[in-house]
Amino acid sequence: MVRFENVSMSYAANEVLHSLNLHIPEGKLVVLIGPSGCGKTTTLQLINRLIVPTEGKIFVNGRDISTVDPVELRRGIGYVIQEIGLFPHMTIRQNIEIVPKLLGWDEKRRLERTRELLKLVNLDEQYLNSYPANLSGGQQQRIGLLRALAAEPPIILMDEPFGALDPITRESLQDEIMALQRKLHKTIVFVTHDMDEAIKIADIIVLMKDGVIVQAASPEQLLSSPANEFVEQFIGRHRLYGAKLDTVRDVMKERVVSASPDMSLVESVALMERRQVPTLFLVDDGGRLLGQVSVEDIRACHRAQGVRLADVTHTPVSPVTPDDSAREVFDRMMGEHLDVLPVVDGQGLLIGIVTRSSMVKSLAQLVWKGDGNG
Amino acid sequence: MNWNSILPAMLTHLEITFLGVLAGCVIGLPLAALLVRTPRLQRVVFAVVDALQTVPTLAMLTFVMLIFGLNDSTVVVTIFLYSLFPIVRNAYVGLTSVDAGTIRAGRGIGMTPLQIFTMVRFPVATPMILSGIRLAIVSALGIAATGVFIGAGGLGMLIWRGIQTRNTVMMLSGAIPVSLLAVLFEYAIGFAEKKLTKKTVHTGGIR
Amino acid sequence: MGEFLREVVRSSDLILTALGQHVAISAAALLLGIVVAVPAGVALTYRPKLASAVLALFGVVNTIPSIVLLGVAMIVLGLGFAPAVAVLFLYSLLPILRGTYTGIREVSPKCIKAARGMGMSRMQMLRLVQLPLALPAIITGIRLSTIYIISWATLSAFIGGGGLGDLIWMGLQSYNFNLVLCGAIPATILSLLVSALLNRVIRLSRRHRSEEVAA
Repeated sequence: MVRFENVSMSYAANEVLHSLNLHIPEGKLVVLIGPSGCGKTTTLQLINRLIVPTEGKIFVNGRDISTVDPVELRRGIGYVIQEIGLFPHMTIRQNIEIVPKLLGWDEKRRLERTRELLKLVNLDEQYLNSYPANLSGGQQQRIGLLRALAAEPPIILMDEPFGALDPITRESLQDEIMALQRKLHKTIVFVTHDMDEAIKIADIIVLMKDGVIVQAASPEQLLSSPANEFVEQFIGRHRLYGAKLDTVRDVMKERVVSASPDMSLVESVALMERRQVPTLFLVDDGGRLLGQVSVEDIRACHRAQGVRLADVTHTPVSPVTPDDSAREVFDRMMGEHLDVLPVVDGQGLLIGIVTRSSMVKSLAQLVWKGDGNG
Repeated sequence: MNWNSILPAMLTHLEITFLGVLAGCVIGLPLAALLVRTPRLQRVVFAVVDALQTVPTLAMLTFVMLIFGLNDSTVVVTIFLYSLFPIVRNAYVGLTSVDAGTIRAGRGIGMTPLQIFTMVRFPVATPMILSGIRLAIVSALGIAATGVFIGAGGLGMLIWRGIQTRNTVMMLSGAIPVSLLAVLFEYAIGFAEKKLTKKTVHTGGIR
Repeated sequence: MGEFLREVVRSSDLILTALGQHVAISAAALLLGIVVAVPAGVALTYRPKLASAVLALFGVVNTIPSIVLLGVAMIVLGLGFAPAVAVLFLYSLLPILRGTYTGIREVSPKCIKAARGMGMSRMQMLRLVQLPLALPAIITGIRLSTIYIISWATLSAFIGGGGLGDLIWMGLQSYNFNLVLCGAIPATILSLLVSALLNRVIRLSRRHRSEEVAA
């Protein structure tokens, strides 16, 4: 949809983009991100020819944009900016309908389109005749978004559109963009400096630094295999897959369902049901790990009278320590088809377990920054 | 050209101008300070000085003439009335351009209201007050020249006699000095404003 | 008071004629001023360097007392309606020029950015965004010019321009102060009325912008 071929951009002697090559595929939401001065906004503004590259070519829809009249080009590209820039002397309706009007749509078609757009974002028609000054910042940017969508451009450029909004409004507009994108499948180029925003909404993240692309990848790829130290740093170690999941301590669960070897089988099954666990860990009076027993082990004993847990216990498959590498433990659990591993400290005391679900939860927490309580 | 007639005319002209603007300052500056303290008066005062400003010069001269007669004092009073608008307006804008935080800080370190006025508001307002005085002087020089029609002296007399007698030289002997004076004051005071403004920033006044 | 009213009745034809002349001379100068200064002000926004030179030049023109320019006009152009209009026109330029120039320059950059980004041509941007947003400033300039013009039109009588200044002048020469008032009072009322009217127009043109919410 949009292609950059060896694009360089200089202001005076200062080169801000160095031979950029980038392909923005149709229907994807591509986020340009990087520290300030990395050239992300420059890259965006090159697409609708608000600025002209010193070198290289940019293709939009297969057409070299240097051969297209900038005014015509821009009418086919939606543009949303951080400053919103609604026209204060025009009503909301006039603001939304401005591009269709420039394109010569008749009144009936414009109004139809405006109604359709309002429905798309669940806005009431009562707003149509009020002026931007009467709207909150979040509502204004919603209108800014509709204004960009009004003439149904296949491409939308968004320059830090939610940067000036408060966190709650920002979140809800991000959700709205994602919902819109599911319905409309626009090609969206989105500039931000907010990594959480990028991870949340992007199909592809293009990470830039000093006028070059450092890495362009899906959020998952970026998080799981950052190209270099800079990417890791910029993403923030806390967000990286495996970054803070260095050791077993980072992924283990401390609440363990343990039992004494003297417990009867009936009692132990009741306990397992009550706590919803498939495995019990046996500890002595001092808390030292003696062994583990699974539901299957107990079933295999036909519930003979007088049998104690101690009689059906296995020695656990080599327990791990909190300082073991989380990644190795994960690999081992996958390789040996283990559901659970006990964690013991230096004295052999049971201090926790690692399960598949505790691993996944820790990962999820890092990726989505939720605070799901283990 | 007759220097003997230009110089006294110029002195008379300056005298009329300065007396009028001085009166404007004496009344206008305290009035502006009063407006800062009593915002209720703003609407009335600004409506009055704005209306005064709107009255055509020659009409104002004749109104004042009915009370003060055909002489220089009529022109002085007229200049006073016109000078109120730029002086009061600019002084008010200057005095209120100090941000509320600075005023609070002043109060916080134990300044009395008078001290806040003299040590905070007034210094910040100085360039703005100057620009009001500049506007008043420049327009006063023109009004003083117009004063010839109600029998006042000054450079206007030379211009008017020149026009009446189709004597270009005499006309210019009044026109050139009065224009030079206007441009001189405009730039000299403007320069002083700029020097002073470097320290403070204002918006909203007339320039 | 009775004397004055008798004078008004006696000279009513004279007053109406003079008022008509006064309005004609002012309107002519003002219209010329608008027709020239608004487009010129717009053009100057594309040339900021030239703009500061032009504005400085007209700044000097406007510091020169009106009677001086009237004198010069009389020498160069002679007596009559046209020289009077020419001088008033010259004075009217600066406020309108300055109002238009700063009005357009002060249109918020975010609106310009949005307008450019959505594909407005330069003319469309001017027509749909810049001029409407600069309107309050432009009308403020026009109001200032109008007040100057009405005021100085009373002086233009002295170079044969006619208008209410004629009555003042005739009255002054014959020491008929009632006749003087017959010129001065209508001139004052005209000026106050036009000023109030334009103030209202300025308020109207500003109405949606007073409470602009910072995004």
